[in-house]
Amino acid sequence: MIRFIMKRDGRKVAFNEQKISNAIRKALISVHPDDEITAADEKIVLKLTSMVVADIEKELPKTPSVERTQDLIEQAMIKSGLASEAKNFILYRQRRTNARTYNADLTKIYRDLTSKSTADMDLKRENANIDANAPMGLMLRFGSEGAKDYVKRYVLRPEHALAHARGDIHIHDLDFYLLTINCCQIGLKDLFKRGFSTGHGFLREPQSIQSAAALCCIAIQSNQNDMHGGQSIPMFEYDLAPYVAKSYIKHVGKVIEICLRREQMDISSLKSFCNGLYEKRGTLLDKEAQQKIQEFVEQELTQLGSKDAKNDAAYVMVESLKLTERETYQAMEALIHNLNSMQSRAGAQVPFSSINYGTGTTAEQRLIMKNVLLATDAGLGGGETPIFPVQIFKVKDGVNTKAGDPNYDLFRLACKVSAKRLFPNFSFLDAPFNIKYYKKGHPETEVALMGCRTRVVSNDFDKTKEIIPGRGNLSFTSVNLPRLGIEAHGSLSRFYNSVDRTFAMVFEQLKDRFDIIAKKRVLNYPFLMGQGIWIGSDKLDPEDYIEDIIKHGTMSVGFIGLAECLKALVGKHHGESSEANELGLEIVRHMRELTDRHTQETGLNFSLFSTPAEGLSGRFVKIDQQLYGKITGVTDRAYYTNSFHVPVYYDISAADKIRIEGPYHELCNAGSISYVELDGDLTKNVDAFEKVILYMKQCGVGYGSVNHPVDRCPVCNYVGVINDVCPRCGRRDGEGISIERLRRLGVDCSCFD
Amino acid sequence: MQSRLHAHNGVVGEGVKFERIRRVTGYLVGTLDRFNNAKRAEVNDRVKHMHV
Repeated sequence: MIRFIMKRDGRKVAFNEQKISNAIRKALISVHPDDEITAADEKIVLKLTSMVVADIEKELPKTPSVERTQDLIEQAMIKSGLASEAKNFILYRQRRTNARTYNADLTKIYRDLTSKSTADMDLKRENANIDANAPMGLMLRFGSEGAKDYVKRYVLRPEHALAHARGDIHIHDLDFYLLTINCCQIGLKDLFKRGFSTGHGFLREPQSIQSAAALCCIAIQSNQNDMHGGQSIPMFEYDLAPYVAKSYIKHVGKVIEICLRREQMDISSLKSFCNGLYEKRGTLLDKEAQQKIQEFVEQELTQLGSKDAKNDAAYVMVESLKLTERETYQAMEALIHNLNSMQSRAGAQVPFSSINYGTGTTAEQRLIMKNVLLATDAGLGGGETPIFPVQIFKVKDGVNTKAGDPNYDLFRLACKVSAKRLFPNFSFLDAPFNIKYYKKGHPETEVALMGCRTRVVSNDFDKTKEIIPGRGNLSFTSVNLPRLGIEAHGSLSRFYNSVDRTFAMVFEQLKDRFDIIAKKRVLNYPFLMGQGIWIGSDKLDPEDYIEDIIKHGTMSVGFIGLAECLKALVGKHHGESSEANELGLEIVRHMRELTDRHTQETGLNFSLFSTPAEGLSGRFVKIDQQLYGKITGVTDRAYYTNSFHVPVYYDISAADKIRIEGPYHELCNAGSISYVELDGDLTKNVDAFEKVILYMKQCGVGYGSVNHPVDRCPVCNYVGVINDVCPRCGRRDGEGISIERLRRLGVDCSCFD
Repeated sequence: MQSRLHAHNGVVGEGVKFERIRRVTGYLVGTLDRFNNAKRAEVNDRVKHMHV
């Protein structure tokens, strides 16, 4: 006998069976709203009501709550095969919850944002590279939470909002849903040639490598303000090389002046000679060009009255090259310093930037790469490891993978720097899924990556534009794979059915989102579209809609927790058993087929993404723990394993991890990354590091890197591995040390006050 | 991010933590303090893949 029911506000009131019947009746009518209720309906109402009452009675003496009762009504409907009725009932509940909690949820978030410290509030640490302690960072969170709430309540279809709230799917960057698209691969070549404007005043084409590098940073910063994701430069050395040549010409002119003890000389003939040479040969710094320039300089010097033109010319050549190298280093050093310190999005963060390089073989291009690596190696002002830009070294057979290749020395240097500074990461252009886009001599077809792992190359909207620059990801939504695994209760057909259903829903949601942004105009994106960064935007007027040109971008379905999903399905993950791995590949292949098919059906670029999942790593599992309890190997940790990765806690060799994860890269065409964790001071063993990277290449990895601890003691500036005690000053974490002792150790103490 | 260290009675570094740079997603993060709870748990669980 049920006597009471607990209301939402905690009051106990008399239980009334009629209310359950009413709710069920409403749900039944909802599927045929225009007709009266039938006798058959009434029979079902009676049957379901008694089912629910019986269920509640099983849980006595616990007083039933309204929420619990509604759960039981839902279950009774699903058990009786009333799927659409149950769905309507769920949506009705959601709408009621929405109305009831209107204001309350958001107000609570705002209150917490104001009163709780970052250390106590997980929400403030959603993205580790945004400082929510600082006023602008906090302001950003206020705006972000308000926008999310609005989008969830009023913009998303109720079923999408519900799927997101329940953790079936995760719609990323909800706060930007009505505003903009994700990320872009920026081509600098045309932008620099045209010159550009970021606010007030026009920036002309740079005339030296130093100003080109500075403008590169400004382009990244400006573009990031028009988008919600990161920015990458896919052809770093190609786009900047012409400006090394420009610097070189200037230096030649300057050294000639010094030689002749003259000032303000007219160097226009030198300039036009060198420009002509560069146009023809693409380089001024190789041997042949250098010889031609030397002859020209000698002639000039003779005409200008040099007493020893031959020697003077030789001096000019040596000195101007030195000056150019020096300037290039300083330009790269400034670029790295800028990208770690310049503010974006109202000061909450530095721009999320990435640069890709590795295949350019002219002397100018090589000079840029060498110096960006050396500047990374040197670190920031206090010796700190730069965290931006993410650097990606493109590995390519015949260019940089073995002794004798023109850029093998740079690959070695990249390994050495990465072993110390964690960057560069490595991308592999020879992987079959990358090489098929590669056209020799066309670096715009070399696959590049966003730092996080996003990859955009194929283009079903316009097959003639299967290129990298000017394109990016529009948005993505991730699927909770472990839950689908748990809910399948061991039945693979049930599992695949739910994967298909979930993907269909995500496709619909992504298209809804696309349709919102499609109605924006060029003028809404003053840099991205206004300055012609995005492909095709240079042909549009400010008032034009962007619908057609954003079709070059991708919409991606991501996933998390393949490992936990396999655990739920077959008891083992893909690191533990090869059968599980076969199943894992089959699942991911199936998902890829779904995105491919949808691409063909719509002519839009849908792709499969191995989601980076920073904020998401803990969200699904938290909800699933509440729903299913702690299932060993599935929901018993604070996070779900990233994408298709072998779990981080699983003991496995580097080689096996790479070998297992390799084949998944081909399937995730929206991008993926693999990393292995190595220990200790890798700097001492570049050979071993190189072997690991080349093994990744051999195993079909598209993008990979090596993790190792990089610690720094802010007191004595030691950089390397610090366990409990700093190897240099002997300090423990948080411990004080006397200045006297530091001085004895040779630490510069002038900065302590 | 601490930029300036203050000495107290000739002692410096009290309460100053080591910086531990780790990779998250594909980006690097300068300090573990900024990691969310789940990522922090994940980083703690990471085992080394010793045998190459």
